[in-house]
Amino acid sequence: MAEVSAGQVARLAVLFERYHRGLFRYFVSMNRDREQAEDLVQEVFFRMLRYRTSYDPAHSFTAWMYQIARNAGVDQVRKRGMAQVVDIDSFALVSGSPGPEESVSRGQDLALLRRAMGQLPEDKREILVLSRFQGMKHEDIAEVLGCEVGTVKVRVYRAIRALEQIYFSLEKEKVS
Amino acid sequence: MNCEQAKTQMLGENQGDDFAAHLASCDMCRSEASRIGALWQSLDLLPLDEPGGQVRERFYEMLGAYRQGMASAEPRKTRQLGQWGWQIAAAAALIAVGLALGYVVRGNGQPPAEVSQLREEVANMRQLVALSLMQQQSASERLKGVSWSYQVEPSDTEVLNALVTTVNHDPNVNVRLAAVDALRPFTGSPATHLAARNAVVQALPKETAPIVQVALIDFLAELKERNAAPELRRLVSDPDIDSGVRKRAEWALERMQ
Repeated sequence: MAEVSAGQVARLAVLFERYHRGLFRYFVSMNRDREQAEDLVQEVFFRMLRYRTSYDPAHSFTAWMYQIARNAGVDQVRKRGMAQVVDIDSFALVSGSPGPEESVSRGQDLALLRRAMGQLPEDKREILVLSRFQGMKHEDIAEVLGCEVGTVKVRVYRAIRALEQIYFSLEKEKVS
Repeated sequence: MNCEQAKTQMLGENQGDDFAAHLASCDMCRSEASRIGALWQSLDLLPLDEPGGQVRERFYEMLGAYRQGMASAEPRKTRQLGQWGWQIAAAAALIAVGLALGYVVRGNGQPPAEVSQLREEVANMRQLVALSLMQQQSASERLKGVSWSYQVEPSDTEVLNALVTTVNHDPNVNVRLAAVDALRPFTGSPATHLAARNAVVQALPKETAPIVQVALIDFLAELKERNAAPELRRLVSDPDIDSGVRKRAEWALERMQ
């Protein structure tokens, strides 16, 4: 990004190839709309290009990129004039019907896990997506969310506990 | 380390010896760490979604247009820099004052000055991409430029002018047709609605392709643009005109009454 920032805008292609899938999955995880997620990926790279001079190489690129992504997501919601509505029964990082590996694995029912993710409040879902699916360090997440690293650790813990509770309540429903 | 501290380390990156020692001595934390650790790991098993191929295509299109736009803007900047140096300095000073004022008066519910500035830059960038694409040799690129025009503010007269030029002079029927549709947002803006309406009126006599003529007639009927009535009457009475266009012109005249 430092090279892009210095004027070599063609180098943005390298960043695109490296990060566009992760960004797409982040947006899909948050809003469950593939088409909108694709538009938002485009918007993020557009903003990266436009605001390239605001990038500080002393800070994490990933954190900077996800700050832009969050802002783009917020702007999108504001533009549409409504809160994001997540189809709680269809949360998945996957398209299409569940495969056989999703039935039961490592003691977890993945179909239930998907539903549980969909039912998580947005802030908890976001922190799990960033820390688990995007593999971001707590320091970078703290920068994105504008909080302390300690707060990130607590929030990740609370999010996974909330997921666990939803998962088990869904499991009980299923049994009964 | 107590149980509260241990909980925040259960999914941590560097758990350390203290955490291991605590787990060794606390059954409850050991059990919880094992349980949520398994759940944490199982998140990995959710298969990953893939973006469609058009994401890559759109990105490279945007990047190409941006580079081209910057390249064409560069010589003009260099030429004007000396001449406008003092004006740029004055503008920079005004921006600095604006930012300072923004900090002083922040809290009144308005976005900070720098946010407004960035929004303006994004708008300028969209304009640049739309204008740049509309000047390309390839019809498909010009079509993309017309599509980009939907992302600019409807008060943008430069993009409106480019669309009008496209409607009147583009050699490709599909591009002209798309440009006619793209004029619609401009008829809703107080700054551009008159110019956009006039452009549609003036484009109709020049147009020869029936499909674009029909699109223009529909647009004029929708606008109830009475200034187009003479041209519509001419089309109705012209024996050489396409019969579909004639019928549409008759329909539009009725609708305007």
